[in-house]
Amino acid sequence: MIGCYDFCGHYEWTFGWFERVGGHALVLEYWDEAINHDSQRHARDLIRSGGIPGMLKYWGHTLLEESPDLGFHISHREDVFRIDFHDCPSRGFLLRNQLKNYGDYCGHCMGWTGPMLKEAGYVIDHEHDHQGHCWWEMRPASATGGHAAPGSVAGDKDIRFNPSWPKDPAKLDRYTKANHPDDKMK
Amino acid sequence: MARSDLPYTDTKPVGSADFYFGINATFRFILHRLGADGWRRYLEEMGRGYFAPVNQKWSEGGLAVVAGYWRAFFAAEPGSVVEVAELPDRVEVRVHECPAIKHLRAGGREIVREYCQHCYFIGSARAEAAGLTMRLKGGSGSCCHTYARADAGLAPQDLTEIKEARS
Repeated sequence: MIGCYDFCGHYEWTFGWFERVGGHALVLEYWDEAINHDSQRHARDLIRSGGIPGMLKYWGHTLLEESPDLGFHISHREDVFRIDFHDCPSRGFLLRNQLKNYGDYCGHCMGWTGPMLKEAGYVIDHEHDHQGHCWWEMRPASATGGHAAPGSVAGDKDIRFNPSWPKDPAKLDRYTKANHPDDKMK
Repeated sequence: MARSDLPYTDTKPVGSADFYFGINATFRFILHRLGADGWRRYLEEMGRGYFAPVNQKWSEGGLAVVAGYWRAFFAAEPGSVVEVAELPDRVEVRVHECPAIKHLRAGGREIVREYCQHCYFIGSARAEAAGLTMRLKGGSGSCCHTYARADAGLAPQDLTEIKEARS
């Protein structure tokens, strides 16, 4: 049986299998069709109908279940929903167990949330360092401009103040007002 | 039982049951895109690849290690009711309440009808890698997995003995 305890492990293995069988396109289709439109349809329903309060309801529940040690911090205002991951439970599982079957595991988050939020009318600012640290800001699609200044939404919980956050921008994957995993600005 | 019996370990004691939604959706996607043969190939390759570390432990340690693995595995799967019986030539994993089927039903998800076959395809690939044989009977919420030594002389798997999963 395939279990939920080590889900992140066989999920990551599956990305690599899809890439070998059907290339990058099949991986993207998997994230959108299977994860966004099927597995996480409860997230889609909450966010399409509820907007930012729906995001709070979905991520507040699911991150508490995945990361009871609170390796994350959620901030929200009327115009923005933000998550800072100081210890991503999913990427952390792979790093601790030295699992790697796919080039950029972290791409899966933009792979399913990007299209989901586009359908709900939101865009994403995001950076990740591949080491279990990242931040996300989700705003209405009418939002413009670049990334907000560090601390302006999450205060001192902003991962960019964490000493382990890379000083070298080349170590980051960066997205600005994006909805697709290939919108990476690196 | 100990988490050290598992090939990969987490910091939390049990998994998040909503991930069963992801497993079910992955199966649906592969069955739709690549057909039953593609899905079977996916499971067999995962069984030989991703699970290689535990297959190796089974190969080296025999049935006692197989039993320890399944006790630890189901202890980390929320909502499972499972008994693992060690017999002289085989281990029987008697699943009284399958945690995946239970959670998918509770979540109102359409379960792929082939869901329970995945335990046979991946289990038999893992068993073969460890020099064992695996058979499965039942399904759709309760079943029995048998992992046996080659000399146990188990009859070939009859796929009709694996029930279709019902939502």
